[in-house]
Amino acid sequence: MNVPKNTEPLKKHCENHEKCMQMIQAVLDGSATEQEIISFKANMGVCLPCIEGHDLQKSIKEALQQKIEKKCCPESTLSNIRQKLGIASALLVFAAVQITIFKVLLES
Amino acid sequence: METITMTEERAEETNVSEETEIKVPRYSDSEKYVVFNTEFIPHIDSMYNFAFRLTNDEDDANDLVQDTYMKAFRFINSFQQGTNAKAWLFRILKNSFINDYRKKSKQPAKVDYQEVETTYNSESTDSETTTDLRTETVQDMIGDEVATALNSLPVDFRTVIILCDIEGFTYEEMAKILDIPIGTVRSRLHRARNLLKEKLRSYANTMGYKKAS
Repeated sequence: MNVPKNTEPLKKHCENHEKCMQMIQAVLDGSATEQEIISFKANMGVCLPCIEGHDLQKSIKEALQQKIEKKCCPESTLSNIRQKLGIASALLVFAAVQITIFKVLLES
Repeated sequence: METITMTEERAEETNVSEETEIKVPRYSDSEKYVVFNTEFIPHIDSMYNFAFRLTNDEDDANDLVQDTYMKAFRFINSFQQGTNAKAWLFRILKNSFINDYRKKSKQPAKVDYQEVETTYNSESTDSETTTDLRTETVQDMIGDEVATALNSLPVDFRTVIILCDIEGFTYEEMAKILDIPIGTVRSRLHRARNLLKEKLRSYANTMGYKKAS
């Protein structure tokens, strides 16, 4: 990550790293609150463990998004679904016809 | 030490389809097919990948996707066109997996949350993990190595990472899919990521990736 220029030396230890990492993750996930975004911006230029944690988390997220193979659903699965739905609707029509015939027979 | 099979407990009370079925039909028969084809089918690859990552088996993934789409059609009247179809389908698939597939397993995956919390929620563990695993190491890894680490996580932790990092759902959407509060999504995701880092670090050490200088 591009660390903003800061005259103060970077903090080598983060007192609240667990909480900071949750905030950093929320920012990377696009689900951070406004307060978290403000804290994130204020913290990222001064805390080395947070900068490193951010970079590592970002690289893991990118690896998950880009490197893991995305499979296509087999054509046969889609065909089976369509076939089952076709059969199901045919059975419904058949049942409806039977009920109608039964009603007609009862009335006559 | 308390061992909880949280997802199985939740599944009993969170079958989206049956809970939210609407009595008055929203769609005619022909409209149902239109909604099914235009709103549901475009997500079939994502659904298949989610199913495959949950089951680690192609046949089970196929069955799970088919079951999900059959349920989606059966309860299509509870789906409002134009709303988030992908999240709706993912929720059905997740519930089907818990209710139908995990019960079939001889050794259902249990997550000992207490142990996980103790082991992975301490600051020292987190610092150690992050210092040992380098950004460059992760960048050098191939997809299979990342996938192996992901697959080795307990299913509840694997699920939040798949939903967030691979499928790109927001915390709010994940909360709805998983039936848990947003705060729980955040904390579970954080723990899942600590676990994943630990797996990646172990794997990197085993494979002789360079350690941090």
